[in-house]
Amino acid sequence: MSIHTPVRIGPAEATLIAQLGAVGAKAAAERLSVIGLPTRKVESYHYTDLKMLLRSVPELAHAEKATSAPALRIPGAYRIPMTNGLADLDGREPGVLRSALVPGSALSERDDVLVRLNMALAAKSLKLEIAGEMEQVLHIDRRSEGDAAHVNDSVHLFVADGSKATVIETFSGTDEAHLSNHASYVAVGKGATLTHILVDLSPAQATNFAVAEYHIAEGAALRTVTIHAGSVLSRINLFAKFEGEGAHGDFTGLNLVSDGQHSDLTLELSHAVPRCTSKPLYKQIARGRSVAAFQGKIVVAKHAQKTDAKLMMQGLMLSDEAQILSKPELEIFADDVVCGHGSTVGALDEDSLFYLMSRGIPKAEAESMLVRGFLDEVLDPIEGEALHEALEAVVVKWLAA
Amino acid sequence: MTTPMLEIRNLHARIEEREILKGVTLTVPRGEVHAIMGRNGSGKSTLSYVLAGKEDYEITEGEVLLDGVSLLEMDPSERAAAGLFLAFQYPIEIPGVATMTFLKAAINAQRKARGEGELSTPDFMRAVKDAGRDLNVDSDMLKRALNVGFSGGEKKRAEILQMALLKPKMCVLDETDSGLDIDALKVVSDGVNALRGPDRAMLVITHYQRLLNHIVPDVVHVFSDGRVVESGGKDLALELEAKGYAGFDGAAA
Repeated sequence: MSIHTPVRIGPAEATLIAQLGAVGAKAAAERLSVIGLPTRKVESYHYTDLKMLLRSVPELAHAEKATSAPALRIPGAYRIPMTNGLADLDGREPGVLRSALVPGSALSERDDVLVRLNMALAAKSLKLEIAGEMEQVLHIDRRSEGDAAHVNDSVHLFVADGSKATVIETFSGTDEAHLSNHASYVAVGKGATLTHILVDLSPAQATNFAVAEYHIAEGAALRTVTIHAGSVLSRINLFAKFEGEGAHGDFTGLNLVSDGQHSDLTLELSHAVPRCTSKPLYKQIARGRSVAAFQGKIVVAKHAQKTDAKLMMQGLMLSDEAQILSKPELEIFADDVVCGHGSTVGALDEDSLFYLMSRGIPKAEAESMLVRGFLDEVLDPIEGEALHEALEAVVVKWLAA
Repeated sequence: MTTPMLEIRNLHARIEEREILKGVTLTVPRGEVHAIMGRNGSGKSTLSYVLAGKEDYEITEGEVLLDGVSLLEMDPSERAAAGLFLAFQYPIEIPGVATMTFLKAAINAQRKARGEGELSTPDFMRAVKDAGRDLNVDSDMLKRALNVGFSGGEKKRAEILQMALLKPKMCVLDETDSGLDIDALKVVSDGVNALRGPDRAMLVITHYQRLLNHIVPDVVHVFSDGRVVESGGKDLALELEAKGYAGFDGAAA
């Protein structure tokens, strides 16, 4: 039994409660006014105390024209712009892709503040269905435009049985203190192959939240790549569930965190059925005075025998003032599984740096080569030259900034 | 008299509080190959690291001139651009950095530092292929990450390949024979010998005399307790092999 003492409501919470009330989301408003934003006492927000970190919330977004520069260009990709929550469909999509706008958020209900906010505030979802092999990369270009705005947008992506696709979603916008909360619902059909990439390239003052949920059917192969390379405060929740046997998931990510930033990647992976394999691999780099946090939780259900899951977090500290936090968790209820986790944090290797420099490579370039080498394990498996180069460029730009 | 390629004068270096180099004086004229022999722990490898500019060591006294230019104020990359090359005893494995990317970055960085233009990709590929052929370095090896998963012999051949591509004025080879079988030793030695020339000097650091049967030195220096205690012709190596290092201890005292 627990006794609820009323929480003190801060300005960010007050604005959120008012915004929820204004759209008629009474239950969500009431819930938030009772429990407030999560503090570090909430286990899943242990490293990211939103009550403390989120100081203010801008006005709810309204329709705007896209004026910001594209954050990422991928030659040959089919791009769907989504500006302040509204997708712009030009009707020229490739034959294997069907798109539509549907009301509400695509997310499933879950006890998480970002999920509740998106479900209450996202007016429409961009619904995409890929049936067949989509050769073009699909780029969903989500932007927060105009003056500082609170944007909730949503994408529902279904990759039909036996289909194959590569989808990248980028988050960016005008150089304002936006609060963006992006939702992605991703269903991978039986035997389908999907690479799904999320890249946060939000401007320096912006706060970026994202929730992606993955439903993985029998025999499917999913690779997720989640990259943080922008925004002052970021929290990305990844909820993945194996729902059919014999599927494989490579859950990967790069958390690139600069001075003054706080970025948290949290993965909750459910092995709900037997014979699925997963390899979560997350790399974090922190420089200046910054916080990079990763939480990875793998839950193996009682009947999910022959599960093979290996979780790895590797951190690279580029300054003494940076913090790299890591919390791997395994909850295993089955008895015939192979599961493991590892976590390492270190600085750039001095001997490697000396070796490169002894061949004439100047220090800054040698450091950059080593950092890229560190990240390569995540970027290297991404297929498609144009896409690979675009992501390499994100890393290079981050390093040079 | 022409400027020597390498001139080391009364060099003292320490790591933390321990002095390892205790007044090394050594001159290698251009075009010559000198050998340094000494027992384990005598400071031979430290000398190679100090020459290349490893940060762990503090230089307390002395100077080092490469072709008349003082090296000690330069960082390792500047020393390399000035023409110094160290073949490592234990080349470092660097995951995620492709060997070809590394070679190209190194060549172009040195060219840039010398005010030369970048090598075009076809020219670069040709240079690597030509140099690789003589050293049995195939394209498969070059596709892998730098030194990762290379055998001991492959690592040493890759070092000599780098040396051939970077065309240094002064080569320092630190225990290049360690970990090599007879066949690999021959390949590596042939590679080194092919690089001998009137405008290049070499300092070959070794523990055993056998390397010097393949890379025949002009001068042999005996190293003991952080300094050169005896110098002589190539026969000195044979004398060392017969008498052991004990006969030379304290010779300079």
